[in-house]
Amino acid sequence: MQKVFNNKMAIFLFVFPGILLFALTFLVPIVLSAYYSFRDTLSPGTPSAFIGFANYTELLFHDSRFWLALRNAVLLGLGFILIQHPIAIFFAIMLDRLGGKAEKWFRTIFFIPCVISVVVISKMWLSLLDPTFGAFNKMLDSLGLGFLKHAWLGDGSTALVSMLFILIWAGFGWGLLFYYAGLKGIPDDMYEAASLDGASGFRLHWRITVPLLSPVITVQITLAMITALKQMETVFLTTNGGPGDSTQFLAVYLYNKAFSASQYGYANAISILFIIVCLLATYLSNKLTRSDATEF
Amino acid sequence: MVMNSKSTRNILLVTALAAVSVLSACGGGNDKNNNAGSSTNGGTTGSADKEVTLRLFSNLPDRKSGQGLAEQMVIDNYIKANPNVKIDIETLAEEPFKNKLKAYMASNEALDVTMVHGGAELNTLVQAGYVKELNPAEYEGDTYKFLPGVYKSFTFNDKLYGLPRNSDYEVIYYNKKLFDDNGIKIPTTYAELLEAGKQFRAKGIEPMSMNGKDLWSFAAFFQDLVVRLTGDQNLMLDAVAKKKNFTGDENFTKAAELLAQARDTKLFQESFMTADYGASQNLFTQGRAAMWYMGSWEAGMATNDKLPEDFRNNVNVLKFPVVEGGKGKDTDLLAWNGGGYSLVSSSKHPEEAKKFFDYMMSADQWAKIVWDTGAAVPAQKYELTGKESELQKQLTEVLTGATSTAGSIALDSGTPKFKDDAQNAFGKFFAGGSTPEQLLADLQKAAETQ
Repeated sequence: MQKVFNNKMAIFLFVFPGILLFALTFLVPIVLSAYYSFRDTLSPGTPSAFIGFANYTELLFHDSRFWLALRNAVLLGLGFILIQHPIAIFFAIMLDRLGGKAEKWFRTIFFIPCVISVVVISKMWLSLLDPTFGAFNKMLDSLGLGFLKHAWLGDGSTALVSMLFILIWAGFGWGLLFYYAGLKGIPDDMYEAASLDGASGFRLHWRITVPLLSPVITVQITLAMITALKQMETVFLTTNGGPGDSTQFLAVYLYNKAFSASQYGYANAISILFIIVCLLATYLSNKLTRSDATEF
Repeated sequence: MVMNSKSTRNILLVTALAAVSVLSACGGGNDKNNNAGSSTNGGTTGSADKEVTLRLFSNLPDRKSGQGLAEQMVIDNYIKANPNVKIDIETLAEEPFKNKLKAYMASNEALDVTMVHGGAELNTLVQAGYVKELNPAEYEGDTYKFLPGVYKSFTFNDKLYGLPRNSDYEVIYYNKKLFDDNGIKIPTTYAELLEAGKQFRAKGIEPMSMNGKDLWSFAAFFQDLVVRLTGDQNLMLDAVAKKKNFTGDENFTKAAELLAQARDTKLFQESFMTADYGASQNLFTQGRAAMWYMGSWEAGMATNDKLPEDFRNNVNVLKFPVVEGGKGKDTDLLAWNGGGYSLVSSSKHPEEAKKFFDYMMSADQWAKIVWDTGAAVPAQKYELTGKESELQKQLTEVLTGATSTAGSIALDSGTPKFKDDAQNAFGKFFAGGSTPEQLLADLQKAAETQ
């Protein structure tokens, strides 16, 4: 074995297929994307002209839709981090303490939204929130809250909140699963020791569970940020960024620029900025949540 | 549980890179053959025995009724006459179809014949060299019988790149029973239309169904209002072409104010901003909305046995109502030729593809079948059979009675970027935010920066 690892050729042969696959599927498209981002073109294969940084200056300084899309993505990320994840941690703790058959049942139930296809989720929420036939408005009616009835996804003032709600709901199961797995890895004697020291209830979890979950939380926050930034399918299938841009998200915007508005070069400039924003978000969330890993 | 923070970070960085590469750029070749090839197409007998599979891409997923059925019948006829040819059909609904066609264009996919939308959409395909130039002289005469002026949205720099399949015009379909049962007058003026809207709303019936998510219907509605106000079919087209201004023009201001009235009196269904084509159609065909603002290509509703009989017997056509004090008549028709077919340059069987294309577009195939089945109004001369549905007769009357036509729909007369920006302006307007002035300013900007 030692011999094999000393042979540079062998190492190369082992690593090369993986590197090649990575290069062809990730690096080459990104490089091509960067190339097109400096050009004015309808699509690859059409006449294109080099226009320098024009796409980027337009994007950064004149395109309010881009900033709106970015703002919405950041809002979604914050929604994930500040609403979805605390709830997921709370439910994970509850689930962990439940034990027995009920634990298994609820574990499955909470994970159901993650198993349903995005198309089904989108269409389901579209009809649930439909102002005329939707179950949600009907429920409000029967509760005597008819005055709250609304075109939830169809009105610019509530569309974003409704969209955030759907997305937070749909991704909840994943967060729960990770935290639940993390919790299972915390040995019981930690809790016993803490109880002997007089900690209980909220304090117990705040001092023991949360710090010990911190590696999971770090990864989850980063993933939440990226998920929020690259959100596409649900938005595309429900509102397509509308009404009037109120639920515009980066990936939907870039898709529509490329394939509806035929501004392919411009869309590629968005995708390059998109990569930079994602890397920046990853770096920042790592920096901010970085703490010394606890060993136990 | 120990986490090495350095390797975690590296893994995360890789994950991030993987996660964000959404738009995979496909390298398309520049070696497209963009010749019309009309002179080389003498040999129709040459490939009679060879097995050929042609690829057709269409926006008609429903193959059992309406235009989809008509298209399928043409294909079946062709296969019967040419047993060596197989036709591989791929269909997608309207909006996904448009997007996928652009993706096919980007990767120079070897389709043979594709459905195309005239105007801005086709213009992109033309610039990419993805569709073949056609020789208009070939399509003159009695085999094809195209009506005059129907090539407008398919012609770029005086060259023809596709053939229209229908005469398209916007009308208001209405459910007569809902009007009668509720004692509401069928509107002939815009004020009456808004009034009817209020009355239906008071009775808990959605007045007019609209595919607001797709946005283009708003632009057509606005164009209809402009024409009713001015009687000038060219005004809005000129504004898109930057020969006139949207802003500071009293006609546009008035039209935008009228549009705001439709929004503010809630003429459209509650869910109109999230309703796509299918959703808006269902609302109307299930008798839940009294009217539907849509094009003449929906003539097939009256003969579609999947729809409730009660609906089929009551669906009627209304001309877009006149505006009080406006110079336009209700016979000034917002008509154009939107949908059609083109030959694809990267076809692997160009000769067979052209043969099929010519067959499909001949007057006794698509045009005859689509009319006889009551699916749409063709762009070619057709014979009345005497078996037309009531809806077809009314649609024919609207077309033959037209005193002027637009020739193209303003939204499609600019670049794709204009279309996207203008649609977004209408979206902002209807989502509740902007004023009529803001709408016109946005349209002006869209026209200037296209």
